[in-house]
Amino acid sequence: MTELVRLADITKVYQGGVTGALNGVSLTVEEGEFTAVMGPSGSGKSTLLNLVAGLDRPTSGSVSVAGEDLGRMGETALARFRRDRIGFVFQFFHLLPNLTVLENVLIPAQLRSRESAEVPGRKLLTQLGIAELADRYPARLSGGQQQRVAIARALINKPTLLLADEPTGALDTRSGDQVMELLMQLHSQGQTILLVTHDAKLATRHAARVISVMDGKIVDDARLDTAERAPSDVIRLRGEEATR
Amino acid sequence: MTAILVKAIADLRRRRVQAAVIFLTVLLSIATGTMALTLMSQTRDPYQTAFAAQKGAHLQVSFHPTTDPQLLTKTPAIIGASAAGGPYPATTLEFRHAGTTFNVEVFGRDNPAGDVEVLNITSGRWPRANDEIVLTRSFSELNNLAVGDRIKVVSVAAAPTLTVVGEVVDIDEGSADLSSQHSWVLKAAIPALTTPDLLYYVMDYRFATDPTNSQLMGYMDRLRSSVPPGSISGSVNYLLIRNVFNITNQIITGVLGAFSVFALLATIAIVATLVTGIVISAYREIGIMKAIGFTPSGVVGVFALQIVIPALAACLIGIPGGTLISQPLLANSSHALGLAYVPSFSISLDLLVLAGGMLVVSIAATLPALRAGLLKPITAITNATAPRGTSGRRLRQLAARLRLPRPVVLGIGDAFSRPLRAVLTLVTVLLAVATAVVAVGLPRSFELINNSETGLGSYQVVVNRTNAYPDADVMRTLNAQPETARVVALDGENVTVPGISDPVNSILFRGDSSRLGYMVIAGRWFTGPGEVLAPKGLLQDAHLKIGDTFTGNLYGNAIQLRVVGEVYDISNLGHRLFMDYSTLPPNTPNSSPGQYDVTLTPGADVNAYVRRVAAVQPDLIDVRPSNNAIIGPVKIIDTVLLVLAAVLVLIGIGGVFNTLLLNTRERVHDTATLKAMGMSPRQVMVMVAASAALLALVGGLLAMPVGVELNRVLNDVISTSTGNDTPARAYDVFKPFELVLIPLLGVVVAVVAALLPGRWAARTNVVEVLHSE
Amino acid sequence: MSLKFGVLGLLAEEPLHGYEVKNRFEAMLGGTWEVNIGQVYTTLQRLERDGLVRPVGARGDRGKLLYELADPGRKALEGWLAQPDSGPQQLHEDIYVKLLVAARVANGGLNPLLGRQKRAYLQRLRDLNRLEDRARHDGRNDLARLVRGALLHAEADLKWIDELSEELNSGVEK
Repeated sequence: MTELVRLADITKVYQGGVTGALNGVSLTVEEGEFTAVMGPSGSGKSTLLNLVAGLDRPTSGSVSVAGEDLGRMGETALARFRRDRIGFVFQFFHLLPNLTVLENVLIPAQLRSRESAEVPGRKLLTQLGIAELADRYPARLSGGQQQRVAIARALINKPTLLLADEPTGALDTRSGDQVMELLMQLHSQGQTILLVTHDAKLATRHAARVISVMDGKIVDDARLDTAERAPSDVIRLRGEEATR
Repeated sequence: MTAILVKAIADLRRRRVQAAVIFLTVLLSIATGTMALTLMSQTRDPYQTAFAAQKGAHLQVSFHPTTDPQLLTKTPAIIGASAAGGPYPATTLEFRHAGTTFNVEVFGRDNPAGDVEVLNITSGRWPRANDEIVLTRSFSELNNLAVGDRIKVVSVAAAPTLTVVGEVVDIDEGSADLSSQHSWVLKAAIPALTTPDLLYYVMDYRFATDPTNSQLMGYMDRLRSSVPPGSISGSVNYLLIRNVFNITNQIITGVLGAFSVFALLATIAIVATLVTGIVISAYREIGIMKAIGFTPSGVVGVFALQIVIPALAACLIGIPGGTLISQPLLANSSHALGLAYVPSFSISLDLLVLAGGMLVVSIAATLPALRAGLLKPITAITNATAPRGTSGRRLRQLAARLRLPRPVVLGIGDAFSRPLRAVLTLVTVLLAVATAVVAVGLPRSFELINNSETGLGSYQVVVNRTNAYPDADVMRTLNAQPETARVVALDGENVTVPGISDPVNSILFRGDSSRLGYMVIAGRWFTGPGEVLAPKGLLQDAHLKIGDTFTGNLYGNAIQLRVVGEVYDISNLGHRLFMDYSTLPPNTPNSSPGQYDVTLTPGADVNAYVRRVAAVQPDLIDVRPSNNAIIGPVKIIDTVLLVLAAVLVLIGIGGVFNTLLLNTRERVHDTATLKAMGMSPRQVMVMVAASAALLALVGGLLAMPVGVELNRVLNDVISTSTGNDTPARAYDVFKPFELVLIPLLGVVVAVVAALLPGRWAARTNVVEVLHSE
Repeated sequence: MSLKFGVLGLLAEEPLHGYEVKNRFEAMLGGTWEVNIGQVYTTLQRLERDGLVRPVGARGDRGKLLYELADPGRKALEGWLAQPDSGPQQLHEDIYVKLLVAARVANGGLNPLLGRQKRAYLQRLRDLNRLEDRARHDGRNDLARLVRGALLHAEADLKWIDELSEELNSGVEK
């Protein structure tokens, strides 16, 4: 398995901040992994995601993704990197309100080349179960539908890495479950996924690796056993004592 | 009330750039408007004031030398004049100074003061001896003469030398660059400066009330019947002079007025756009303001104040500024009238402009702000951002079909996403480009006309002869030169035309005159005796049209004349006749050409020719290259147009800049999302520039027909005021590629204006914007 | 208690044989509670003794006895259903006491303890997640709800550990 992301001794301090958002964080992520980064709000988990996406620069330390050192890239190179290598799914979807669903999905592809990406775009919409929404505007869609559009948009350029920042945070339970199902499917097809959440249930649902962040530091990096367990090994109901 | 003020000022400090845009645009339009209004109010017939002060002559009549001076002294009583001056002996004087020959009418007059035509001595003194002469200040300034200069008279054989001892302003004459000038010597000096047949008498008449044109005609008729027939050789009335004087000012103030309105409209559009934009960006804040207790009118007040405060500051600087700038123009016209320049402006006018300007700006700011006042608090808070425009899809599809890059497509779609704002911006751009078009076109029309009046390209050398040097000699000298291709001789006479009170100044051409560059507006040039052309002014006033015949009177002889064409000529406000020299009845006394327009063979050296011919008889003929310089008033108008165009273009840029600023700020969320998706900073700038480019392109294209039509209209207005129809060529001053180039230049300018907002948008901090929910 | 009343509940639907009771009970609980047949028969006998159930048909071969719910049994079942779980929170796991002991013994070295416990909780959380998924997938929404309850408990345990860690660490830094 090749190493896809490497953060080396990252510190991020914001102006006016007393302590850093991240303090000396080091981390590697392998290709094909589904990793969850968990922590309370303010712990630095979102900052970590932003650094991996090239949306932000560390105060010190290095970030490299797919072999490229993000620290050496200028704004334009970082933009290209985001376009070609990263798919980002946000908590609040961030769709462009004056473009149709299809137009939204195609943006990253159109930023890349003039060739029409309409065919793969529609295919993605079908895969995600929202093909009939292609010509609608985001304002008319439910949260779950919008997030699925956002996922399609994130996937259009076949990114090396899919980043999700609280993807179910603005959704009702049912839609949230559907979205997580989608992510799981994508993972089973080989997509490397980095999920950030404060919800432990969410983090442990599909991820095999759970990284816990607290106060800008990684406090735990747990690789979970993914074997299926018999129900009775998972729950023990007490009733009467074993009997005679 | 204090709370409203406090909030407004706090918001203003946050929105510094927008405050600056308001300040600058209001400054420019208020200054222009104040300048125009000051000029309009202060120059309303200054001529009339000066005329009354200098007791100008309503009527100035020239009489044949055979007329009895005693009879002339009785004429004021006969025609009912309340005051009179003269009879003054007069003649035409030619003199040389510094190598140039000049031509003036010289009057014999012992007293510059009197009851009529008081001459205002501006430097030096009145002549005391017979070898002293006084010139008009206008003439001296134009020709670089000064008190103390010695001039050599060449129109008489004795060639006496006179000393210039003074300069005066004569209210009964136009300025030297538009009309020939008078000069004065003592009465006793006249006989030495003339021959008996070139002497004539001049009478000045003044009436109790300013006569109208028809009254003047009545007076002339009475005068004519009281003197022997043929005694009157010419006349000039004050109405003509006044109109000539006022035209420049009228044109300038008219142009300024019209374009100030443009500037004001553009500013209003910008203010309205800005306020709407601020309201939209502050949607959530409005809800909170209302929830904590601001009344609807309080909310409106906060937004209106943010505009009113910088606008007020701009007015406080712009109004004095505009008044100040108007002063040089006022000084210019005072100077021409011989009045001492007194800073003249009206405080009440300035205050009126202040009140009016602030009122207009306040309304432009309040109306859109009303929307803020009417907003329900809960709607505003929960909606956080105002409903965004979703139109633009068709534009995007169109742009995409043109295979434009995606950032350009997105930018184009954005341009009209808020239709009202886009329309207002288009209006601003349209006004700016239309003005620029006029500023390019009108001077060209003027140049065209100027060149036709000065014969550019048609003849290269002008020769004037004195009476001492015969016509035949001049023709021989000229024809002897190898480079002479064609000589046309000009003779000026006064012809009485039925229905026109003053005899009409006419030019008689000897030779092939059809190619001298005069612009024939309708009909054709004359081909033989008896055929005439005239400008619109004369045709209209004499109720003539092409094809009509009338009987003119020349030296007491009736001659049959037929109108064959309409020509463009601004002298005398269109009262002119053009005809062939053969029309003159034979044996007409004292009529032979005095001016010769010479066309040289192609490639001839004009200066060498001039030197050679002048050398033949330096004192008696004046040879010079034809002067094609643009006359003063036109230069002033050209400058004013340029300044106006610059002002409006600046306002237009301000409008585009303002709209871009609003758009990029409102779209900051989308820009951040696009950057997260991988749009590079340069692509963001391209997107913003594309938006600006589309607005400028549409506005510019719409402006072209408007500007061309405006050019046409202004040409017509100006031509009509000089008594002419606009020649067709003057409309057509734009080459086709220019009509395409100007909108394209507008696009370039807009793209430059987009650089700063584009840069700000490109620098959006994605993390801050997207994670601040 | 739950086995006894679980059996009563099953018999409330229809009379059942002993082995049927065992199978249905295990099915109802989705594999989370495996009982042996002996427990079942003992329970049935006790219930019969207490008059809550009665056999149907003749005595004889024990495995073939059919049991049905008697009126007192129905009343007892209803009574049990009506009564909420009240009384003290039951903490069966060792961590609670371990925490107290370690506080005395480990000399401030609680962090490793907490870390290990957290790992275990994470694993548990994952397993519960998978179980809930499978239950929903199999259409067993009633079971899924039960698992959900366990899941939220496990989440709470995790939150508790996180709080403890935070409290300990911020104490140290001060």
